Order: sequence, then structure tokens, then C-alpha cells
Amino acid sequence: MKKGLFLFLTFLLALSSLLAGCGDDSNKSNSGGDSKSGGTLVFARGGDSTSLDPITSTEGETFRVTDNIFENLLEYGETDTTIQPSLAESWDVSSDGLVYTFKLLKGVKFHDGTEFNADAVVYNFDRWMNGDVDKFPYYTMFGDFKGKEGAVIKEVKAVDANTVQFTLTRSQAPAHPVGTGPFQFVEWKESDKIVLKKFKDYHVKGEPKLDGVIFRVIPDNSARLNALKGGEVDVIDGLNPSDESKVSGDSSLQIIKRPSMNVGYLGFNVETKPFDNKLVRQALNMAIDKNALIKAFYAGQAIPAKNAMPPSIEGYNDAVVDYKYDLTAAKAKLAEAGFPNGFTIDLWAMPVARPYMPEAQKVAEVIQANFKEIGVTVTVKTEEWATYLDDAAKGNLSMFMLGWTGDNGDADNFLYTLLDKDSIGGNNYSRYSNDALHDILIKAQTESDPAKRNDLYKQAQVIIHDDAPWVPLVHSTPLMAAGENVKGYVAHPTGSESFKGVSLK
Amino acid sequence: MKNEEIVEKEKTPFREFWESFRANRLALVGLGIVFFFIVIAIFAPLLTSYAPDSQNLADRLLPPSASHYFGTDDFGRDLFTRVVYGARLSLWVGFLSVLGSALIGTFLGIVAGYYGKWLDTIISRFFDILLAFPSILLAIAIVAILGPSLQNALIAIAIVNVPTFGRLVRSKVLSVKQEEYILAARAIGMGDTRILTHHILPNSIAPVIVQGTLAIATAIIEAAALGFLGMGAQAPMPEWGKMLADSRQYLTDAPGTLFFPGFAIMFTVLGFNLIGDGLRDALDPKMK
Repeated sequence: MKKGLFLFLTFLLALSSLLAGCGDDSNKSNSGGDSKSGGTLVFARGGDSTSLDPITSTEGETFRVTDNIFENLLEYGETDTTIQPSLAESWDVSSDGLVYTFKLLKGVKFHDGTEFNADAVVYNFDRWMNGDVDKFPYYTMFGDFKGKEGAVIKEVKAVDANTVQFTLTRSQAPAHPVGTGPFQFVEWKESDKIVLKKFKDYHVKGEPKLDGVIFRVIPDNSARLNALKGGEVDVIDGLNPSDESKVSGDSSLQIIKRPSMNVGYLGFNVETKPFDNKLVRQALNMAIDKNALIKAFYAGQAIPAKNAMPPSIEGYNDAVVDYKYDLTAAKAKLAEAGFPNGFTIDLWAMPVARPYMPEAQKVAEVIQANFKEIGVTVTVKTEEWATYLDDAAKGNLSMFMLGWTGDNGDADNFLYTLLDKDSIGGNNYSRYSNDALHDILIKAQTESDPAKRNDLYKQAQVIIHDDAPWVPLVHSTPLMAAGENVKGYVAHPTGSESFKGVSLK
Repeated sequence: MKNEEIVEKEKTPFREFWESFRANRLALVGLGIVFFFIVIAIFAPLLTSYAPDSQNLADRLLPPSASHYFGTDDFGRDLFTRVVYGARLSLWVGFLSVLGSALIGTFLGIVAGYYGKWLDTIISRFFDILLAFPSILLAIAIVAILGPSLQNALIAIAIVNVPTFGRLVRSKVLSVKQEEYILAARAIGMGDTRILTHHILPNSIAPVIVQGTLAIATAIIEAAALGFLGMGAQAPMPEWGKMLADSRQYLTDAPGTLFFPGFAIMFTVLGFNLIGDGLRDALDPKMK
């Protein structure tokens, strides 16, 4: 498969969650068929969703729920990022790579009973394309909004009831909720729980096996593990790596390892002082002992990061040599930058466990102690998760910890999404802008030769390494735990998965 | 000789108090505990060769040993050092916040009790409003406004305790004001200020001392609670409440990380409470 096709399909996947108007007639579905009981699975996690409309969010806790309510035209393989049919049963690509025609699955119903058809697909893409930055922060995935210069999609039209055609402007190398997914929305108590129940008219026979799913928020990692041990919940996210041995030693529990496809980092807002100075950023890159950090707070379930993307992704530049942990050199660099006596700054740390950083506050304290050695006095700060992301996007945090779990296993989804100048205001929280990098990343998007494309991404990583808008910290293997009665739970590298194959024994 | 002995045994008020206090064994135990913590707080740097915030991630969560008396915490910091330095923070917050609330509370109480009328109404209603909130909740609200830090926690605790002192002093002043010696002082032309400082204040201060001692105990617990909730001392300060919060996930792996700071809080608070009870028994004329 051509890279361009792969990327285009990928973006459809990430954003084509199908939404229809919220129905008033949701009672209809209650009258449906079988009543075989599969039990309700309780999933405990560290933070609440920031939204239940997947196209307005780039945040993992939202997708974790919406992946069960909505479906995409295409989906990923169970444990990898290959493209598989979902709501689209087949697709064709024109020879110039600009026209994509999808044949839709027939007989699919929305939770409110509406038929799924080509018009619904067009409605959704129109909704997205006519949006703006505030409503749809993930716009960089499609280039830009409709009519703007960078827009990738020119037109989406319904050819007939079951056929949709996408016309692109350029071939692209790299969406009360009602969907067509296996579970339907019941209620959302913010910061407490989101309740989903089985969709009886789901188009895949025999699925879902569960009667429902409840997403509960338990911020504290050890309290969450205790809830699992006490049988209050069935699956927990964000297991402390140090608790792994406790879980594996308990025959009533099981460990679920998520394949690693993430990066946890310390970001600098390069528009603010003193981080507008490259030497300062480089100095701080030399001052964090990543290996000690991983040993202490990841129990070895992570590798030190030197690039903005993980090594499991094609185009990773292993030739980049990480800044060596060397406090003397760091101090010298800081003096060279004009701060021989260091400076005082706030360090923002996430309030919730993230897959790439289960214990952000602890990691922040280690960084605080590391920086103290070179004269940089740090106050660790935090705030509520949604506010945190919002402040980071607005550039209000000058030094912050964050991370990213890949959406599609492509380098573009890390480098362009997180560090290109187009992504400022979106996921480029560092507000890092480099025109040379931008040219390379745009070129890579349209490059169809994989070798040349990988080469471009390798160049990009060299530039990023030198400019040092981040201290890349780790690529982790996120750990989850579940009761041994949970069957068929397959953790996906993208960080969220549908529970349609899951059952409780 | 005989006459002199008799003169020596004549009791001054302080001596009378001390004998009564000394007879109370529990109060002496309390005094001993508090004295112990004050000593380790003052001499903290001499008791240990580690710095309270120096991390050593290779030596994390070690059990107690000869090189780490209490073991180490999850950052490999020496727990004994942190508990000892933590005594400084807790006693500092305890004394200072109570000093602040006692000064403000006493001043407002005397003004309200002595002058009465509308001043009394305003001040007393102000106390009522403060007392209407559960104290820890009010402290949290104040810290939320000021921003989380140990200093702001101290200010919050001081504010929360003001009405307790104020009401106590006000009621005492109301009764002292009726005494004949006050009337006599006024009759010979003594001014308000002099009456307040020379007669009312000295005669109203005993309950403040008792309340102050008990309030230090409460203040230490409140500071620890705020630290536990992340609204008091900030990382990497070795504050006992924060230490508890930071290590609660290691309850089963390294119980020492919770055990030692927990006991430190318990013993200091117990010490101040025992002293407070002893003082009340010794100073309250009704108890004799």
C-alpha cells in the first residue's frame, strides 16, 4: 500500500466518527430483542473525559469512551495500526491519488434508530471542515479548514445511499452523543462516571458481549488498584509500574500491557523567557537523569527518549545522540546562555496518570531536584486536567510536562502534530516554529517513496534535537490491570479501544 | 531560722501554679515530649549527615538500617532527616499561627468586651461568621484564594483560630470589667488604655495561655492536613502531612514512610494536648 493512501485512510479513521443529531426517541432501542446477560464492566481511570464529541478533542480519556459509542469508516487491526474495513466495506483510489470512493456497510443503525448512510458521512465531514480552531483543535490532521490554503479535503459528496466520494486538493500523507458503535450513551456525571449500555441493534452479530460499560474516575493510582482488588471495578488504567509485581503475584488479577507508542516529555514554551534562548533549553536537556527516573518511577517499563517520536515508528533516527546527563556541562551551558546563577521558574505537572507518565508529580520532583543542582529553582505546580491542557494550548505554561500517544503509528502524527508551526494553538504546546522543519515535514507528507520519506523524518529529528524545544523523557509501556474474569481485552497501541470483543466470565 | 523558712515557703502565684502543674504527671510527660521535639528541631543539622531534600534514586524505599535510621522514601531521601527537619516546619507553623491568632483574637476580644455596644456587635458577628465554617474547610478556602504554600497555610490557620481566642477573651473581659478594682481605678482617674493594659489584660490572659497550648496542637494537625491535601507545604519540603500524602501508595511496600511521619505528628500533638490539659487544671480556680 502506498504511504499516501495509508496516511489518508489513517486520518479518516481518526476523525470520521459518525455523529447524527441527538435523538429524542432513544426509548425505541430499549424495546429490542435478546436479553442474554453479559454483565457490566467497570473501567477505572485517572481522569475524566474532557468531552464526548470526539472531533472537539485530542485527549486520550475522551477517545477511550467515544471509541465505544462511535465507529469509523475504517479501523485499525486489533493490536497494530494496519487499516481494516469498518463502516466502509471497501474502497477505491483514483490513479492520481486525489479521489477516494468508499462503499458503505448496509443495514447499520444509529443508536436512535436512524439508518447510517452516505448522507450521514457527508454531514460529519462538513461539520468538521466548516469548523474553526476553537471547536476542532485537531485541524492540523487535515491541513486546514475548508477553503483555506492548507486544506486537504476539497469535497465530500454522496454518490448514492451507500457510496461516499472524497476529493482531495493534494495527496495527503498522513471525529447527548449518538453513533453506530457497540455501546450507546446513558449518562455522564462529570469527574465521576460515564455510563454506556449495549446497543441491541449493533451491526456485528453477537457483539457486544457486555451489557454495558461504566467508565469511573479514580484519580489516585493506588486507590484505583485497591478498587480493583476490592472488586469495585473490573479493569484499571494507569497501574503504577512499582505495583506490577503485586498484581502479577495475585491469581485473581491480570496485567494488561499496552504496546508502546508514546513519548513523555518536558516542554518549554519557546516564546517565553528564558526558554526563547536555545542554550537554556539545551542546558536543561543535559540536567535530567532519565535512566534513574525510569528505574524509580517506571520500574523499568520505559526507555529513555532522545527523539520526539518512539523507535517503534518508521523514520526514527537512531543516529541522534542524546544530550548526555552531565551537570557540570549543563551548568557551563547555562552560564554561556547568560544564567551563571540559574533562575527561578514554575514547572507544571499533570494532575492525572497518563500512559506515558503514570506518576507525573513524582517525576516533577525528580526534575526539581536535578535542576536545583545547576541552580535552577523550580516550583512544582498543577491544576485540573482540562484547564491544564487548555492553558498549555494557549501558551500560558512556560515549562510543563506532557506527552503523546500516537493515533496512527506514523511519524507525521508525532513530528508534524506536536512540533510543526501549523500546530501552534493545537498540540504544539511549545509554540516551536522552524521554517526549515516545516518545509521538511510538508515535503514528507506528500512523499510517496518510503525510503525518501523516512530520510526526511530523520532530518527533521536532527533539527528538533538541536533546537531542543523539549526534553524528551521516556517512551513507556503503559500498564493496566484487570480481574482474571475479564476476557478478550486487547490493549491497542493508540491508547484506546472498543470493548466490543470483551466479556466477563 | 524558723521564721525564714516560713517566709520561703510562702507561695508566689507562679510557684503555686508550678506545684499544681508538677503534680500532674501526664502534663509533665507532655512537657517532656514537646521539649524533645523542640530540641531535635533546633539541632536538626547536627543529628544527621544528610540534607532533607537530597535525592538518591538508587536507594529508594530502603528499610531502616544503620545508615538510614528510618529507611528512605521513594526518592531515596533519608527519612530520619526528613522527619527531624519536619519538626522545624510543624513547630514553626504551630507556634507562629497560634501567636498570630492569639494576638489578633485577644485584641479584638478586649475591644469588644471592654467597649461593648456597636463595636461588640460587629466584632462578635464577625466571629460568628468565621465559626459558622468548619475550620478545615475555611482554611482550604483561604489557601485556595492565596495559593498553596506553607506560609499561606500558616496564615489560613491563624485566621481560622482568631474567633476562638476572641470569644474567650471577650467573655473574660466582660466579667473582669465588673470587678471593684476596675471601678476603683476609674474612680482615681485612670484612663482606658492604662486600665486595659494594667488590669484587664493581665487578668484575662490565663485562659489564652491554656487555649494557646491546645490550639498549637490543632494548628499542627491542620497544617499536616493541608500538606496532605497538597495545599500546604510544597515539594520538596519535608512537611509531615505532605510526607504522608506522598508515600501513601507505599503503605504495604515501605510502611516506614508513613509510620514515622505519622507518629511524629501524633506525638507532638499529644504533647501539646497534655500540656494544655495540665495548664487548664493548674490555672483554673474552679478546679482547685
